[in-house]
This record gives sequence, structure tokens and C-alpha cells, in this order.
Amino acid sequence: MAQISARAADLPSGRTAGQGAGRGLARWLASDRVFPKIPYVLVEGLIIVTILIPFILTIYISLLRWRANRPFETATFSGLSNYEVVLTDSLFWASVGRTFYFAGTAVAVELVVGFVLAMLVHQCTRSKKLYTTIILVPMMIVPIVVGYNFSMIYVDSGPLNQLLAPFLEPFGIDPRIRWLSHPVAAQFAIIIADIWQWTSLTFLIFLSGFSALPAQLINAARVMGATPWQIFWRIQFPLLKPAILIAVIIRSMEALKMFDPVVLLTFGGPGTSTQTVAYFLWEQVWVFNKFSFGAAASIVLLVMFSVFIYFGIYLLVSQRATVDRRAA
Amino acid sequence: MKTAASAMSPEQARVRRIRRERRNRIVRHAVLLAWTGFIAFPIYWMVMTSFKDSGEWVTWPPHWVPHAPTLHNYAQIFAFSSIDPSLSRQAAEQAFTIWKGLGDSLLVCTTAALLALLLGTFLAYSISRFNVGGKYFRHTILTIRMIPPIVIAISILIYYAILIPYATGAVFGARISMFDTYIGLILIYTVTTLPFVIWMMLTFIDEVPYTLEHAARLMGAGRFTVIRRVVLPLVASGMVVTFLFVFILNWAEFLLALTLTHPEVTTLTVLLNKFQSASEGRLYGPQAAIGTMITIPVVVLGILIQKHLVKGFSFGTIRR
Repeated sequence: MAQISARAADLPSGRTAGQGAGRGLARWLASDRVFPKIPYVLVEGLIIVTILIPFILTIYISLLRWRANRPFETATFSGLSNYEVVLTDSLFWASVGRTFYFAGTAVAVELVVGFVLAMLVHQCTRSKKLYTTIILVPMMIVPIVVGYNFSMIYVDSGPLNQLLAPFLEPFGIDPRIRWLSHPVAAQFAIIIADIWQWTSLTFLIFLSGFSALPAQLINAARVMGATPWQIFWRIQFPLLKPAILIAVIIRSMEALKMFDPVVLLTFGGPGTSTQTVAYFLWEQVWVFNKFSFGAAASIVLLVMFSVFIYFGIYLLVSQRATVDRRAA
Repeated sequence: MKTAASAMSPEQARVRRIRRERRNRIVRHAVLLAWTGFIAFPIYWMVMTSFKDSGEWVTWPPHWVPHAPTLHNYAQIFAFSSIDPSLSRQAAEQAFTIWKGLGDSLLVCTTAALLALLLGTFLAYSISRFNVGGKYFRHTILTIRMIPPIVIAISILIYYAILIPYATGAVFGARISMFDTYIGLILIYTVTTLPFVIWMMLTFIDEVPYTLEHAARLMGAGRFTVIRRVVLPLVASGMVVTFLFVFILNWAEFLLALTLTHPEVTTLTVLLNKFQSASEGRLYGPQAAIGTMITIPVVVLGILIQKHLVKGFSFGTIRR
């Protein structure tokens, strides 16, 4: 096929000697053998240069004893001692645990609320579009702005405390509570900010799931006398399972990266009570200049996450294959 | 249940059903309006704060509506550097202009999104038509997106700040650092958004029937003609959507911009964060004004591509 077309393209204009080389190159690039490989090579090259080489370098740095405030020439090889420090660092493990705690709580709430909202909006007729647009807005807002907004709301003489004042003042409690100075309240402050922003995403996924449900099936069930409760649990919910799975994967992968609201709201404080693992590593490397420690910790983190990454990708892929098969 | 229903006359059943539906509708709207209020609250507060003068930023009781609305905050962030720098207060104010951050953000986000779009679309086409990279390539590319960005940030920092200066020092005799440069940030944004581009464009390109291209080829069109005349017109709208989606992602990106630039390149997100830790107390007003200004364009763009957002975020695993 390629030969035919190439010949056809050649026919109208006679070839001159000067154009020969350029045309030959163009034809070689356009051939079935070479053409598809061009973007592949480009992208692979880019990935090797910007991800793979830095990653190998990180492994190398993690084996050195070196702090960034000294020249690199003074670094000495120290074997696995950095890994030993990381693995025995209680702050590191605490931040890992906290990350999972934040992510787990936030994602659980987002799933439930997003599901309920999607179900309600799906039942709307005239106002469906309006509600969808409104509920999707938080997702589009820059996370750093969300962090700022909530820092404003949690201020001790801020609107949140004013709303709570009628409930607190009768008990003699000063309503001007410093939410971000209390370890547990600060943790919830961050979780709430995450829920505020990302419930829109689970909502969006579930709403798409609801819209994709086969209407005939539900109508048939209704005609046969199924109650709304039965329709929901026996038909809609089982059909929505893939959407739920995807929402869980996508949201938990993102929630485990939580960083922006921590910087904007609490700087990891009070104490270390809101340090997520991303914030912890950032502080170690960018504030304390502990490069080797940071490198070793990031390798440990990647190894820990690789299980999740693998399962996440595996599930996404099998889901995508199902969708493609259905579409074909 | 069955006996109760049979005991009711059809008229009674109808009345009961209508009553139940009305009750459901009220509950539904109550819940949805409550959530709308929850969503609107922080946004409302930001917009209101952006119109308040410094005395009103934090008061007890808080002012829900600015008592003396002012455009001072906007004037401050959009000011051109014409204030006398000898006055410390005004010098501080001068640092709050948005121009540098806006310019850097636009430059970095647009360039990175365009680069990712070109590379990603081209690759998606190859994957879709020629199965380049094997069966699992489209999945391995997702790994980039799944790696926590802080891990990428640390390795890139070491790479930009150590290896590249060393390598250029050895080869060219001059140490060139990629840290805190436009190219450095653009490259890393391009790579981290490539998975989104590839997966989104795959959904668009897979929808273009291959028979069309085949027919065009048989009729004598060259490969580039086919791409330009047949494929591109059909996926152009998809490319626009993908571009906007990636642009929004880049626009909102904070961690990489914070860690890989300072002090030269300043994107808007980094700029906003700078005020958060400003030494002379936080300037809520200008912050709110900048926050509003950052938010408006992406929310507008986001609403424009609302229909396709789910495709982007779910990597095409859910389709409407």
C-alpha cells in the first residue's frame, strides 16, 4: 500500500536531482516502518532524559553521605546507611501513616457524598445542568486558592466561628477558636478542604455512571413492580460498581499526593500533626537540605507506593478494555 | 404492602404517589442547595475579601459584605512598578504586582501544554493505528502520572542542580543549571501531562474510522496529506479540549513550580503562596484579589470543556 501511494505521489512532478535526497528522506520518514516510531522515539527520549536519568541519579545520591550546603565533591559513599536512617525515622513513618489517614478519611467522605449528590442530580430534570455546573466548580479552582480560601475561613475571628457563635456562646465558650492551632482540628481542617474540592470529581464520575445506565432495564423493572429501593440495590448499584472502583483508584492516588493545602493552611503544624509524607520530604530536602536523606526516603516511598500504582494501573486498564470492547 | 395497595382505590394511590414525589423533590432540592451553599461559602468569602480594605480583612464580628467596598486590592496587584521603592511599605506593595507571575504562568503553561499536545497526539495516533510500543505501552505511560510528584521533584532537583551543571561543565566548560529556568519547568510539565494527553487523544482518535484513512491512501494521498486533510479535522475539537484540560492542570500545579523555581521563574501559584508567608503579616486583600484573578479564567475554561472533564480525569475509563 505504501509503495503504491508513494509512486502515485511521485508521478505528477518529475524528479530533479536536487530534490532527490530530500524526497528520499521524506519518503523514508513517511514509510510504515519508520513513521509510527518517530513520536515513540521522541517521547521515550524525553521520558528517559527527564524521568529515568534523574531517577537513577537519585538512587546514586541516596547512597552518599552529603548535605547540599557542602560542595558535592566532599560527598562520601556510605552504602545503605541513608536507608537505615529513613527506615528507623519515626517522623517519616508517622507522616506516611498520616497521609493514609487523611487520604482514607477524605476519599471515603467524597465517595459517599459524591454518590448521593450524583444520585439526586440524576433524578432532577430541569435543574440537572445547572446543578452539575455548580457542583463541578470546586474541581476547577486552583488547589492553592482553595487552601487560601479555607485559611481565610478558619481565621479565629472568621466567618466559620461567627456561624458557630450562637451555639457556643450560651455555654460560655469564646467562639473565637483557633482551628489551625489545634492538632486534631487542623487535621480536620485539611481533610475538609480536600473534601470541598474533590467531591466534585467523584460526583462527576458517578454522574457519568448514572447517565450510562440502561434506561430500558430500569423501566422494565419498574413496570414489573420493583420498588425504587429494589431498583437501586439490584440494578443500579451493581452496574455502578466499575465507576465506584475508578473513583476509588483515581481519588486515592491523588489524595496520597496531598501537599498544597498543607502548605497553605498549616505548614505541617502545629508540631508535626498535619505533615503529610509529601510535606515531610519537601521540608527535609528544601528546608533542611538533607538531599541524601530525601533521595533515600523518596526511593522508599516509591517502592511502598509501587504496589498501589501497579494495582491502580491494572484496574484502570482492565476497565478501559471493557469500555473499549463495549464501544466497538 | 401488597394488601395495603389493594385496599386503596386507584385515586388514593395516585394522590399518595404525587405526594411522595413532591416530598422527594423538596428533600432533593434541599440537599443540593445545602451543598451549593457549602461550595459557594469559601468562594464568596474570597471575592468579598478582595473588595475589602485592610481594616476590614479580619474583624470581629466579620463583615459579610464590605462596608466600604474598594478596588484598592486590584489596583495594587495590577499596579505597574511606578511606586517609589524608598518607602518600605510601598516597596512591599510593589512586590505584589501580578504581572510577572501572570506572564510566567501563561508562558510556561501554554508552551508545556502545546508541546505535550503535539507529542502526545502524534504518539496517540501511532499507538492507535500502528500499535507502537506494544500492547502495554499505553498503560506503562500512566506510571508517570501515578508517581507522587514529590519523588519526581526530588530527583529532578538533584538532576537540574547537580548532574546538568556537572555535565555541561565537563563538556562545554561552563556550568549551566536548569534549576529555576523556563525550559526546566516546561520540560517537566510536558512530561507529567503527557499521560493525560495520550489517553485523552486515544479516545478521540480511536473514534475516527480507519477506513476513511485507508480510502484516502488508496486514492493516492500521501501520509501527511491524510493526516492533515482527514485525521486532523476530525480530531481538532478533541485536541482543543485536551489542550485546555492540560492547560488547566498546569495552571493549577504548585508542588513542582514551588520546588524547581526560586526566585527567577514565578508562576501564579507560587506567587500566591509567597504572600502566605509574608514577613510583615499576611495581606489577605491582595491575596484574595490574586486568588480571584487566578480562578476566573480556569473556571470559565473548565465550564467550557465540562462535558469532557470526566474523560480526562478518568483516563477514558468512563464514557457518557
